[in-house]
Amino acid sequence: MGKYILKRLVYLVLVFFLLTFLLFVIYQLMPANRAFTDAQTELKTYKNLTEEEKKTLFDELYLKYQRMYGTDTNNKLKLYGRWLGVVPFYDGTYKGMFTGYFGWSYEHSDEVVKVVAPHLKNSMIIGLITEIAVLGITIPLGIKQAVKKGSKFDHGVQLFSLIGFSTPSFITYIVFILLFCSILKIFPVSGMKTPGSSYTGMKNVLDVLYHVTLPTICLVFGSLAGITRVTRASMIDALSLDCVRTARAKGLNEKVVVYSHAWRNAIIPMVGIIVGGFFGIISGAMILETMFGFKGMGLLYLSSVRTADYDMIMFIQVIYTFIGLFSNLVTDLTYGIVDPRVRISK
Amino acid sequence: MANNKKEGIFSKLARWSTRTFLGQKYEQKWFGNKELGSGEITYKNGVPDDSELIVSPAKQVFQRFIARKFAVFAVLVVVFMFILVFVGPYFMPKYYDAFTESTQKDLPPTMSFMAVPKELKNDINMIDCYGAFSVGLSNAGKVYIWGVTKIGATGFDVKHIPEEVKNANIKFVAAGQDHCVAIDENGKFYGWGSNRFGQYAVTDEILKNDTLIPVPDEVLNGELDVNHIKQVSAGFQATAILMDDGTLYIWGNTQAYANLEKFVGKTNIEEVDFTLNYVVALDKKRDAVYTGYKKSDLYKYIRSSADPSERAVPASDYLGGRKIEHITATLNNICLLLDDGSLAFVGDFGRDNVDVPAAAKNEKFVSVVGGSYHYTGLTEEGNVYTFAGNHYNQDRVPKNLSSKNVTKVFAGAYQSYAVNDNDDLVGKWGLKGYLFGTDGSGANIAERVIAGGKVTMTVGAVAVIIEIIIGVSLGVLSGYFGGWVDMLIMRVCEVVASVPLIPFMLILSSLLAQSAMTTNQKLYMLMFIMGVLGWTGFARITRAQILLARESEYVTAAQSMGVKETRIAFKHILPNVFSVILVNITLAFAGSMGTETTLSYLGFGVIYPQPSWGNMLSRASNATAAINFWWQWLFTSAILILTVVCINTIGDTLRDVMDPKSSNDK
Repeated sequence: MGKYILKRLVYLVLVFFLLTFLLFVIYQLMPANRAFTDAQTELKTYKNLTEEEKKTLFDELYLKYQRMYGTDTNNKLKLYGRWLGVVPFYDGTYKGMFTGYFGWSYEHSDEVVKVVAPHLKNSMIIGLITEIAVLGITIPLGIKQAVKKGSKFDHGVQLFSLIGFSTPSFITYIVFILLFCSILKIFPVSGMKTPGSSYTGMKNVLDVLYHVTLPTICLVFGSLAGITRVTRASMIDALSLDCVRTARAKGLNEKVVVYSHAWRNAIIPMVGIIVGGFFGIISGAMILETMFGFKGMGLLYLSSVRTADYDMIMFIQVIYTFIGLFSNLVTDLTYGIVDPRVRISK
Repeated sequence: MANNKKEGIFSKLARWSTRTFLGQKYEQKWFGNKELGSGEITYKNGVPDDSELIVSPAKQVFQRFIARKFAVFAVLVVVFMFILVFVGPYFMPKYYDAFTESTQKDLPPTMSFMAVPKELKNDINMIDCYGAFSVGLSNAGKVYIWGVTKIGATGFDVKHIPEEVKNANIKFVAAGQDHCVAIDENGKFYGWGSNRFGQYAVTDEILKNDTLIPVPDEVLNGELDVNHIKQVSAGFQATAILMDDGTLYIWGNTQAYANLEKFVGKTNIEEVDFTLNYVVALDKKRDAVYTGYKKSDLYKYIRSSADPSERAVPASDYLGGRKIEHITATLNNICLLLDDGSLAFVGDFGRDNVDVPAAAKNEKFVSVVGGSYHYTGLTEEGNVYTFAGNHYNQDRVPKNLSSKNVTKVFAGAYQSYAVNDNDDLVGKWGLKGYLFGTDGSGANIAERVIAGGKVTMTVGAVAVIIEIIIGVSLGVLSGYFGGWVDMLIMRVCEVVASVPLIPFMLILSSLLAQSAMTTNQKLYMLMFIMGVLGWTGFARITRAQILLARESEYVTAAQSMGVKETRIAFKHILPNVFSVILVNITLAFAGSMGTETTLSYLGFGVIYPQPSWGNMLSRASNATAAINFWWQWLFTSAILILTVVCINTIGDTLRDVMDPKSSNDK
């Protein structure tokens, strides 16, 4: 097992570097030249210059900023090395991923890591609540559907989940916003806390909870349908297994048959979804956060793309990539835990 | 006899196709049992019980499929949608993506543009219209309003005519974009609707604003002699009252009309009207269009037809001594009625333009009125013609109008009305309304739904085709050859799958947006990107199925016969895993439609003005807009959801019916 994990980790690191290099090259394609704009801005502070002087001064400033930002070369590998922190800048310093520096956010005038941290926290809070609620609702629902296959209950839930599955999430959200904010007027439309308030302690917690409830409900409803469908399908497969028939023939209690024999088989194909879901909370919910003005990872990413804040985009994309790869690894390891057959074959 | 023979051919064909596609049992059920032996047919759940009969797998799947009513309904809906979005555009030749119309913005679904009230129908004094609502005045002095009377999200509703207007004997009425003005028999002035730009009342705020010209005191105080008022006209946030001695009272927003200020206090005006950006008038000299500009070339060149290809000549050359009787303006051009009964045109002509009918050129016009883009003219012979702007088929004049003794014609926005000498309404034609309303640019949403569906479905379908080509070939190679090929392909697959789709697509499409590609090239790139990032599902499923099939006997048999490996992979195994792939094709199609919608909704992907079901929903991003302009997202999303639900239903049903384990009585 240890050897397997080690092998996978080495592979993960290799793929991580490969992917970040590809992403890095893609970002280099973007038409952004910070050194150029900064040099131009600084040039404007000098007054009473002739055209000739301006030109030489601009060239000097441009070179200065290029060296500062480490863009004084066109060698992609060298640039990537600088981003990683293994190739020195012009002045001999190392500033990159390995030294804990991921870049500077132009929009927020701060280091990207510092900007991302609170957003990540927000996304994780709402994501965790949602994930637990979703699994708590969908799994019993899917199991009941599979057990009562063909009943009215099954057909009803199936229709509901089919429509939910086919509806783009933003339509679900806007319907909920209209229902709860415009018609029933129960929840606020946007934000993380009451504007202008400075509550402390318990009151603050309650205020945040009040603002977070509707986004959470929306998020839960947006992801119910998909998982219900998968649970039902894998549970139906599991219920037709020989071991279930044998268990029934033995005269076991139906509950034991369903939850002990069938469910443990049904969970195997669902591992990917459940583990992926838990890691997915880190990525945030882009559309939901945009609609509610909820300061999470998705909103940060989207606004960075809109304002072309490249270091920020790169950093968040690196987080996303890392999560994607890491959750693959965790999924495979979890398969080993829930499915003894997989464990043996390794 | 010939008839009989024909029937025979048809029934033979039907019989043959039933036998081919549905099986013998259905043939016997529907066409009787003529030649093919006899036997009782038993039915189980409406399907012939063919447990005793050997049918091919495809036939069995088909029979099971059509036994499910909801699935058949879903197929019909999807086919209908396909026909609608791919054939529909051929039936709307005048549609184009970048259509904008400022007077028709944000209108709710309605068909009431020409719903003249019953009380008015036989007592028409005048009808006026500028934007989405029309105002009518009866000879008895009563004002009627129809059309879309709610003015956007401002909360104004011009349907609420003030009580005093209802009680007064009104002599003149005029409709602007968002306001109405009226003058009663005593010269008292009334206005209602929006007053944001001082359309009918004076407040401190309006006096403080330099760009607004307030309502003149004479008008407000009711000092006008109603018997000497010649014309009342309203436009986009501006109004004009013209007396028969040539005195003009004009007020409103100078930012809407560039030369509005030049008309204030004029006393030599014969007639006045509004184009999109200018006030135009006819002065006492009657030899040119008066715009207030001394040296400008604006509206100085005249042509004899509404055909933009004809060269326009300077006014004095063209007229050659003739006088202009009458002018009327649409948003971008002006029509002149000369004293010899002929028409002349000034200004630009956009697309969807029709010239004056050839027959009308020999007749003498007695009056001509302009709408938003079209003109309706009446000739001495009593014939009515509509020409110029024709985007919403305004030129479809009712056929029998010439026999109805038409004496007056009215036109406004996209509508025309004909009235006879008894003041009865004898004909109305033009735009009735919008089935799904209009969007924020004034375009018809129903048309954009069709054009947008074409884009969304094309993107979805092409992306899936690319996914299939990449995914299935790699899956077959990986599953069949195994070993290092399998290892390599599966690792690549894992890497591609771990790239988060939507964020990555956002980056790529924002890169695309900055590139100098044409709209269509961007669309191809979008499909390509979606395909290249989404093939992993197909590869995995194909591989898994191939692994199962590889162990089966028929492959062993083929191998022992010495069939080439690639031939076994693609000819023997692939057809057998096709069923599973087919199910995934439908689900992936729905999925990639969803991806496109989400991307376009966020402002990436397909970008306005090119419509897609996603970017048409962008109004649904905040609660206020979503509730005020509900029609701008509700219909589109309903059609989108219906289509995707049906495609998913087909996929689900296919999966069920193809699964040998599932039974018929599910």
